[in-house]
Amino acid sequence: MPSFYRWLLYLYPSLYRREYADEMIAVFRDAQAEVSTGSFGERISFRARESGGLLAGALQEHIRIISGSYQLISFTRFDMRPEFRFPRSTVFLMSIIFVGVILAMEKANTIQVKYAAGAGSIWPSLPWFLGLTLLFTCATVMVIWRILFALGRTGVHRLANIQPGTNRTD
Amino acid sequence: MEPLPLTEPVLLVLLSLAEQPRHGYSILKDAERISGGRVKLSTGTLYGALRRLLDSAWIERVEEDESPRDRRPYRLTSRGRRNLQLEVERMRHLTKLAALRIARKEA
Repeated sequence: MPSFYRWLLYLYPSLYRREYADEMIAVFRDAQAEVSTGSFGERISFRARESGGLLAGALQEHIRIISGSYQLISFTRFDMRPEFRFPRSTVFLMSIIFVGVILAMEKANTIQVKYAAGAGSIWPSLPWFLGLTLLFTCATVMVIWRILFALGRTGVHRLANIQPGTNRTD
Repeated sequence: MEPLPLTEPVLLVLLSLAEQPRHGYSILKDAERISGGRVKLSTGTLYGALRRLLDSAWIERVEEDESPRDRRPYRLTSRGRRNLQLEVERMRHLTKLAALRIARKEA
């Protein structure tokens, strides 16, 4: 996991990495040492949380550099205002969709290798593949998040419009 | 500058540093303790919050010769403490109002 963590840190802008990478790795090591004595579920949850946190953090940093503002968008569940938070099950479902997409791509790759032996690979080189996968995932997450955000806002507005003590006659 | 109301990670980080200067892992553990184990910050979220707070001059690094580069402590600035007090005051007002309304509804 530490090498994977280091790899994910490369998604951050270089200035940010220079400033915080050493500290982040040290904190990650301490946290990992503590969770290593925990249950399998706790270890999986820790890895998912750390990976998600780094992906969201890296994306947020790049957007901050482009837009020059922290206020443009929030990515993590805890970054949202309480009334706009999506449920934890959404994160779980999005993870399942992501795994499903990866498995489908792997399956397609296998089929391509099996039936098109000798022909040149249709797949781009690994960095491109990983970059595109990340881009696709981020776009999917953004779309789902915006839909949930809009739904949440609509619900809150309706609640805000309810007048206390108003009796419904229908 | 962080707008009020503060997000949960930012509030927990500030509350953690309000007691004493802390380094990253110590903040992570204290945030979990303060929230009763409910909030477990990832390092990405923690350092995102620290970066924003450093940029807004709500916190600062404690420059210590003996502290290693990967364990640099942070502390609250007077500006950060003032803004934290404002946020706590805002929350106090809100909870007071909420308690009153709930009590009125139950009566």
